[in-house]
Formats: sequence, structure tokens, C-alpha cells
Amino acid sequence: MQNKNISSVLKSVSKPGRYIGGEFNSIIKNKDEVKCRFAFCFPDTYEIGMSNLGVRILYDALNKDSDVWCERVYAPWTDMKEKMEQYSIPLSAVESGDSLDCFDLVAFSLQYEMCYTTTLAMLKLAGFPIWAKDRAEDCPIIVGGGPCVYNSEPVAEFFDLINIGEGEEVLLEICHLYNKMKADGTYTRAAFLREASHIDGVYIPSLYEVSYNDDGTIKEYKPLYDDVPTKIKKRIIEDMDKASYPEKLVMPYIETVHDRIVLEVYRGCIRGCRFCQAGMVYRPIREKSVETLCKQAKCLYDNSGYDEISLISLSISDYSELPRLTDSLLEWTDASHVSLSLPSLRIDSFSEELMAKVSSVRTGGITFAPEAGTQRLRDVINKNVSEEDLMRSVGIAFRGGKSNVKLYFMNGLPTETDEDIEGISALAKKVVDQYYAMPKPQRPKGLGVTVSVSCFVPKPFTPFQWEKQDTYEELMRKQALLKSCITDRRIKYAYHDAKVSFIEAVLARGDRRLAPAIAYLADKGQMFDAWDEFFNYDLWIEAFEKCGVDPAFYTSRGFGLDEVLPWDIIDIGVTKSFLLRERNKAYEGKTTPSCAEQCSGCGANKLGGKNRWCK
Amino acid sequence: MVQVNTTKLFLRFKFVKRGSLQYISHLDLVRTMHKVIVRAKLPLWYTEGFNPKPKMIFAAPLSIGTESECEYMDLRMSEYIEPAEAMARINANMTDEMQVIEAYYPDSKFTDLKWMSYRITVGDVNTSDDLADRCNELLLEEQVEVQKKNSDQMINIRPLISSAVAKRVENEIVIDAVLSADPSAFLNPEYVVKYLRDKGGLLSSPDLTSEYYEVKRLNAYFADMTEFR
Ligand code: SF4
Repeated sequence: MQNKNISSVLKSVSKPGRYIGGEFNSIIKNKDEVKCRFAFCFPDTYEIGMSNLGVRILYDALNKDSDVWCERVYAPWTDMKEKMEQYSIPLSAVESGDSLDCFDLVAFSLQYEMCYTTTLAMLKLAGFPIWAKDRAEDCPIIVGGGPCVYNSEPVAEFFDLINIGEGEEVLLEICHLYNKMKADGTYTRAAFLREASHIDGVYIPSLYEVSYNDDGTIKEYKPLYDDVPTKIKKRIIEDMDKASYPEKLVMPYIETVHDRIVLEVYRGCIRGCRFCQAGMVYRPIREKSVETLCKQAKCLYDNSGYDEISLISLSISDYSELPRLTDSLLEWTDASHVSLSLPSLRIDSFSEELMAKVSSVRTGGITFAPEAGTQRLRDVINKNVSEEDLMRSVGIAFRGGKSNVKLYFMNGLPTETDEDIEGISALAKKVVDQYYAMPKPQRPKGLGVTVSVSCFVPKPFTPFQWEKQDTYEELMRKQALLKSCITDRRIKYAYHDAKVSFIEAVLARGDRRLAPAIAYLADKGQMFDAWDEFFNYDLWIEAFEKCGVDPAFYTSRGFGLDEVLPWDIIDIGVTKSFLLRERNKAYEGKTTPSCAEQCSGCGANKLGGKNRWCK
Repeated sequence: MVQVNTTKLFLRFKFVKRGSLQYISHLDLVRTMHKVIVRAKLPLWYTEGFNPKPKMIFAAPLSIGTESECEYMDLRMSEYIEPAEAMARINANMTDEMQVIEAYYPDSKFTDLKWMSYRITVGDVNTSDDLADRCNELLLEEQVEVQKKNSDQMINIRPLISSAVAKRVENEIVIDAVLSADPSAFLNPEYVVKYLRDKGGLLSSPDLTSEYYEVKRLNAYFADMTEFR
């Protein structure tokens, strides 16, 4: 750890346990014996970063290679950041305590758009130039990855290299190329990046020139050299049973957000909700076998001592062998005082049996996501869930002793009318009625129904990617309308800040011309936009004005069907024509069956991947 | 051979909490220990009911910023296990900064623990023999008043100090103190530092990185000042 005098700083900040490292199962290597030092940065707090499954997987995968030492870096909380600036303490990795200039590659996991300012703040604390073009030859290679990079354009020019898709294999390939070029003396920053651009799943933003039309839309992306690919193909892991998965977890001393074993059951999703980006970009679905999962669960339990195993994936009940999996796990979990949790249950698959398995220890509420208030709108978004499904599931929950039901909806979906909004309150009322329809002795005590409403953000790589986002005023009107509809005191109404959704939409749909605005915020010391207390709408608007960005161009304008989209340079497997087909079906109110019922030919099958559905 | 009461079989662990682990709160230590003892696969006794938990009792919680050579945890077992075996299993599941140094089936209770000794090491920019003398004078005053945390109230901590002596050792001021650890009158060593800082000009530099202080808990005693066990 750091020298004695840093101890006074640690004693003066909140939660100093965030900065000390030294956790059980954290990986320490001899820095003189490794060829590549890799800093994995999470642009949010330690507590959030430690809970991230992707980071856990990649930390393990990289460290399995004896030539590579991957360490973790988190964003300091604002009190610590102030002290670091005051005393010139550089940002450092928790394992070695070394500052980031000691590393070869410095990667950032971009989990949500609202972490962009934090990312830049970390680059500044590390003492690196924020623009890739300004970095000197000896500066580490700055890498981006994570869910946001399916449209990384607003931040593309801050990164030297961007990893598109699943990172377990490609990050190692990048390290190997780096080691090789360092060893044979061919390494220069430019030569390395040029060579890396040939690796599938690697995007080098500086190797493309973007031009624009007079109306502000994108004209084209042009690779600077012939050997640089015109489109970057997303990487996937073909066989999930063979994929690297940690056997040990770094055990945090302080409490983190998801302080438990997280078992990834499969990747991808067989559903095709038309607003959902994850459902498209993680295609095709690839399952792990029950045997693999049981082995991983037991091993992680033995090495962690956690008392909860969370089975996660986009929609856990779609796992084709869920009953066999839960039964096998229950053979030992109950006796070991370990509980199972299934956070992503679909309404139509909720059953008494499943609830009995997962609620053995856990009390508390249950959450369902009908997303829209009427069947018409649920058909438009392809959320194949009916009112009967919801009522049946809610009934099971009530009978099973759950009295707190949370319902998730979205405002501002394409084709939404006031009737759909009224439908939300009507649906919530029916849930209340269902409770009172039960004979009194059978009712669990303390009914609570919460209606939680977020604002629709038209995300890249969804059938709704061309849609407009409602204006802020319209979203506010809709929120007020819903508020006036909900008259039942037993229904609680929670809604997201429409201002946040507006900025999110700009960042999610933006292009390279947004970068100066993000840099402007970073220059003002802005970070932690994902935290309500730090999100500063006015500063964002000021930044857009100063940098000549019209945010409405990316939100309420909508994108033309024949327009070049900022993310067209990325190939996620799913084709644009499939997305367009789905969009047209949405407007006709037609649903699309899940991959399990019928393949709809989305195009993701050409990526390969071991699964039972793709044709 | 120690007489073992099998109706409530508690095994006591004396452990150290060193280095950067001083920044881990007591609550986090408890959560951490819970996982350690599960990993160690000890024959734990679990509470009955809906949400069974092992029974862990800790003596004199340590505040953030204090290292310790002398922490105690009593753990209820469902069956007899050799203390040395339990200790080895726990140590294999903890890092170097937290290790058990003794394990035994105890005769005493934590309520019998009355005093604890600490060493406070101060790296002051003005370290001198005079400064050490000044600290000693202040510690010997009849009223050793400090402001209570999160309140305006002043309290006299003199009765809670058994002994406290400061001396200069090279560039540091070293204070050895024995303070009350009685649960009803527990004195946090931070108060001693605070007192000397407020009254004696210790650690007066506004530059946080120019000075430092370390607090380490060293030992525990019964009311008659014999070593706690
Ligand atoms: S190719 Fe067919 S089965 Fe595979 S993900 Fe696409 S729609 Fe689903």
C-alpha cells in the first residue's frame, strides 16, 4: 500500500475501505515477471464496480494468462477526488497501488452513458490527455468496452481502441499482439493500433474519417487505409460451457451493491422486445449446461462463503432447463443455508413451484414488468404478456405471502396515446382488486403496489432505433396525466427524471460531434452523472450550447430510415433489414414469436455460437 | 485439558487486524468474518428459524483507523473441534493482514474485559522532547476534557485512562496508553489524539500529507490488570 502520509488522507475521507485493496482472492503477481500490465477501470464507485459481473469475468480471464496482470481501478468518491487533486495523488490500481502510468493497457468498462464524465475524470486523475490524438508514445493504450460501445461514437475519440462485443477472448488477443510487438521491436503506438484493427471485435476510432451532409446527418464513415475494415464485427463466445468463468471471487471487505454469487445462466435473449437493446445486441442466445452451472455454483460457494446465489440472464425463466437447474442446486443450497434468487422472472412464466424454490429464505417484494398499460401497446413493443398473465402471477405472489408488488412501465413508447397511460393506472388498480378479492384470512398483510415508470429512450440496434423521443414537455405532461389517474391511495407512483432520460438519449444516439460537449463537462470537474445528486442538467445544456450541439437533433427529430446512423459502422449480427421489418410490424401491432417458437431470421446466426434455436 | 461446556460450545479466536484493514469498519469486519467461517467449513451452530445465522460475538469493536494485535471473536460450534485445527482453517481463508494468533475454549466472558492497551504513534512535523513533555503534562491533568462526537458536550475522560505516557522516539512521538474497555465506559483512543491535538498542538499542520498518526491496540486486561483470556 501507499506511504504513511496517505494514511491521514484515508482517515479524512468517507468509506476509506474503498481504496485499500488487499481483498481475499484478489490477484497479486510479480510485476517484473509479467509482460503486460492491464488496468481494468470501472467508472463508478468501488461498491458498484465490484458488483459487476463483466468485470469479475474479465479480471479472471485476463489473470489466467501468466504473462498478463490485470488489476482493478475505481472512481474515487468526490471527497477523495478533491484530496487527490489537492495533494497530487495520482489515480492508482487497488492491487499494487501503482499509478496508471505504470500500465501498458488501461481499459474502461462503459456500462451506462451516464458514466462518460466519470471516465474522463479518471483519465484526468491518472494524468492522461483525454483525447486519443494528444497522447504521447509512452502513454498506455486506452481501451473502451462494455454495453455502451455498440454506439461508442460520442466518446470514440477519447479511446485508442474499442472492444466491440464479449471481451474474454479478444482482450487476451490484444494483450498478445501487444506483447509480441513489444518483444520483436515493431511496437509503435500507430503500428500497434493499425495491426489491432485486423482483430475481429476491435474498433480503432482514429482510423476512420467521418463526413457529414449539409443537413447535419452523417454522410459516411471512411477507413483511412484499405486494410482497415469498413465494419467492425461484434465478438461472441461460441460455447458457453467452454467459456472462461471465475472459480474464485474477489471478496470485498466493505458492502457492495450485489454482494453475492452471480451465476450467468446464458447470454442473449429469445424474446424480441422492440425497445430492448440488450435483447438484440447479445444475440444469439447461448446457454450453459446444467452441469456446468452446478459446478460453477458449488465452486464459487466453496471459495466465497456467500449465502446467496443469484441466477442471472436477461430473462431467467426462458432457460430451457430451469427446473432441473433449480432442483440440482437445491440439493445442497438449503442445507448450506444458501438461498437462490431469480431477479429476471417473466410474468408469463411465474409459477407456484418456482416461487417455492426461490422464496424459501427471502421475504420482500416481487417485481413484474408489463412495460405498457394496454394490450395494444404491449403488442406494438412485442412484450408478449397479457393482462391474464399478470393477474395470474400476482395471485400466486399474494397467495405465496408477498404483499409488495412493483410494476415497471415505460412512458413515451412509439404510438403511445393517453389511453395507454390511463391503462397503466387501470392495470395497477386491478392488481389491488385482485388482492381484495382474496378471502381476508388468506391475504398477506400490508398490501403495497408500486407503479414505477421510466421514459423511453430509443436505443441503437433496436427496431425503435429510428424513433423520436418525446420532448421533455410531452414526457412531463404524460407523467402528470398518469399521476392524476392514480387515485387509489394504495398505489404508489414513482417516475424517472425525464431530464436524465433526455440526456441519456442524446448520448446513446449521438455521434462524434458530441465529444467536445462531454469534454466540456469533464473540464468543469463533473463526474458521477449516474448519481442523482451529481447529475447537472443545466451544465449539460450549457455544454451543448457552447459546443454547438442541438440535442433535439438526436432525440425529438427521429432518424430517417435511409440515414447513415452513427452506429452503422458496427455489425452486431442482427441485420438492419430485420430491425426495419420489426419496426414495420410494430406499427401494424403485430407480434413476433420468440426464438424458441420460431426463428425470425434476425441474422445473428451468422456469428456462430452453440445454441438450439438459430437456423 | 480444558473443561468443555457442550451445551453452548463457544470457541474463542484472538486475531490481528493490521495495515490497511484498519480502514474496515466493525460492521464490515463482521460481514467479512461470516464469509470466512463459512469458507473455513467449521462445524457452525446456526440459529433456528426462518433465516438461520451462525452465532458470532465480538469484543470491544474497533473504530476505523485503528490497527489491532488483539481482537476477539467467540464463535458457537455445533460440535467439538480442535482449536488448532479451527485456527488453521480460518487462517487459510484470510489474508495476511488478518490472522488468528490464538484459539481456545474460554472460561471468561467479554464483559470481564475491562482495559485495553494502545500505542499511538504520531509523525508530527514539530516532533521534539518538549512536545512529548507537553503531552505528558496534558495527560496528567485532572480534567482531560474532550468534545463528544456529534455533540457540543464536553466530557472528562480522565477516569477512563489508567495510564498514558508519551515519549519521543526519533522523529515520532509515541504514546502508550491503557484505556477503559468496559462496555459501559469504553474509551476510543481517538479521543486521546483529539485531546492532544486540540490542547497541545499535536498534528497541527493543515497539510494532511505532512503528518500522520497510527493507533494500534496491543492487549486486553481483566479488572485486576492481568491479561485477558
Ligand atoms: S437467428 Fe433466429 S433463432 Fe437465432 S437469434 Fe436470430 S431470430 Fe433468434
